[in-house]
Amino acid sequence: MRNYIIKRLIYSIIIAWGILTITFVLLRVGPSSPVDRYILNIAARGQDVDSVKQAIEARYGLNKPITEQYFSYMGNLLQGNWGWSFSASMPVLELIGSHWIYSFQLILLATIFAIILGVGLGMLAAVKQNTKFDYAASIFSFIGISIPGFWLGLMLILVFAVYLGFFKTYYDTNYPIWSLENLKQLILPVMALGIGELAGYVRYTRSAMLDNLHKEFVTTARAKGLPESTVIGKHVLRNAILPLVTIIMFDLGSVVFGGAYLTEIVFGIPGLGQVSFNAIFADDYAVVVAVTLIGTFLVLFINLATDLFYTYLDPRIRYE
Amino acid sequence: MSAKTLLEVKDLKTWFYTRRGIVKAVNGVSFTLDEGECLCLVGESGCGKSVTALSILRLFDSPPGKIVEGKVLYEGLDLTTCPIPQLRNIRGKDIAMVFQNAQSALNPVFTIGDQIEEQINTHRMHHNGTAREKAVALLEEMKIPEAVGALKMYPHQMSGGMKQRAMIAMGLSCDPRILIADEPTTAVDVTIRAQIIYILQELKARRNMSIIFITHDLSLVREIGDRAAVVYAGKVVEIAPVEHILRKPAHPYTIGLISCLPDISTEVKRLPSIPGNTPNPMDIPSGCPFHPRCPSVMDICHTVEPEMLNISGVQTAACHLYDADIMGKR
Repeated sequence: MRNYIIKRLIYSIIIAWGILTITFVLLRVGPSSPVDRYILNIAARGQDVDSVKQAIEARYGLNKPITEQYFSYMGNLLQGNWGWSFSASMPVLELIGSHWIYSFQLILLATIFAIILGVGLGMLAAVKQNTKFDYAASIFSFIGISIPGFWLGLMLILVFAVYLGFFKTYYDTNYPIWSLENLKQLILPVMALGIGELAGYVRYTRSAMLDNLHKEFVTTARAKGLPESTVIGKHVLRNAILPLVTIIMFDLGSVVFGGAYLTEIVFGIPGLGQVSFNAIFADDYAVVVAVTLIGTFLVLFINLATDLFYTYLDPRIRYE
Repeated sequence: MSAKTLLEVKDLKTWFYTRRGIVKAVNGVSFTLDEGECLCLVGESGCGKSVTALSILRLFDSPPGKIVEGKVLYEGLDLTTCPIPQLRNIRGKDIAMVFQNAQSALNPVFTIGDQIEEQINTHRMHHNGTAREKAVALLEEMKIPEAVGALKMYPHQMSGGMKQRAMIAMGLSCDPRILIADEPTTAVDVTIRAQIIYILQELKARRNMSIIFITHDLSLVREIGDRAAVVYAGKVVEIAPVEHILRKPAHPYTIGLISCLPDISTEVKRLPSIPGNTPNPMDIPSGCPFHPRCPSVMDICHTVEPEMLNISGVQTAACHLYDADIMGKR
């Protein structure tokens, strides 16, 4: 078991290094340069564009061959120096440090929302198979899966913020993170991000529950005189949860890398998604690489955690 | 026959309403079970003996299954109509079940200890000591070595015989008055089978527990049963003490079954068998359901369903051959 974890950690580092390298190279071989954004200002001030450009490039080492830049970036990274953000004019680590919480709260709340409601509705739909409730849950989940999150976000803003006026149309950073106002203004973003996931979980939970609902051990549980809530909520759910964990953890990756970015942009939440979105347009490669790297580690960590969680959930699974 | 009657099943019919038609799995089963008695339900696969067992505690899937007629009286209480919470108090406590295949009847993700203690805790049966102590005592009673360690094992870590014995231990955990054992020895090998039969015989004697033992194996009936009920097409066709069933079977179907039992002392080229197939429970023959396969079939058997007739005080059979009126007219 310990060897397995060590092996997996080594793999994780190799994967993260590969992704880091690809991201770095792709950004640096593009036609534009981080310096481009200064050029308009320089030209407007009537200075000599070329000499200033060379000076900036020399200062940040951008004139060196790409391999050399790569090795110096890697060297800095290994010493804990994540580089300098040209667009924000501050160290990358500081930039991420002041923005990560906005992404984190959104992803955490949306995931909790989707899991609790999705698994709950899915269980009910399975127990009430072929009833009106089941059909309604099916229709809801098909719609939920089909609607793109960003479009749903825009519609939620239009209806609940613009027409009904229940919420502000934008995310207000003046409220402290731990405040009710902040929680309230997260309701729409959490729904926009969570409903797609929720809809999927309803379907998956329903079918995983149905797979186990007619197994012999369920009859045994009833024959023991257990109440129906224990039969369903313990004996069936505990067996159904294994495929669910795979799907939920897998989805978390796409939430981190996809859904959350778009939701942040639609609602104007200054999280890492928006930071990296802005950085891409500003050719701020150090920020893009850093945000990508954090996401990569997160997904790899989630995958490892899932695999280890399996051994707890299903005692028949053991890793060598 | 002075013992008290504990359970009475009266004309029980459990039908399954499927898309292709009504499956009459149990179609009028009646029998009684006395205190401390072992009654065997015998029959071919698909004859409805397992569904009968499930029907006693209403454990079949519903829908599609439904008890359309009949009663299951346990100490005067009709289990087919009593409210579910009341039934739940009886399930696992007064009447416990042991299933055929422990491999799939035990929940794979919980330890044996969890599963046994859960039942003890549900029925609050741990007055003397904790649920754990009781579970250890039960496993020891089942002759499972190192009972304390075995409680921490998951079903997949146990051998087939151990699992089956753990399953029986679970069934006994709340000191039931009736144990329903649904082919508990089908999935295990011969040595384990002998062990399990021995354990059940011992339990019956020591705890004065009643057992409903469901099997297709007549040689087991001889070893464990006091009385046997022969089930055919969802109906009991003959009930009698085991020695009567084996020595002087009355119903032509029982006679056929007994003649199929291989005798070790004589050499035969080909084992005898009853011609034809068990009837499809969706399309049970008219009259006596056995008439298409019966060697002594008469005209009346095609149309009139025979009633249970008293043959010798302790033996009853549903066959027109024993109806004095009909036979007298011929």
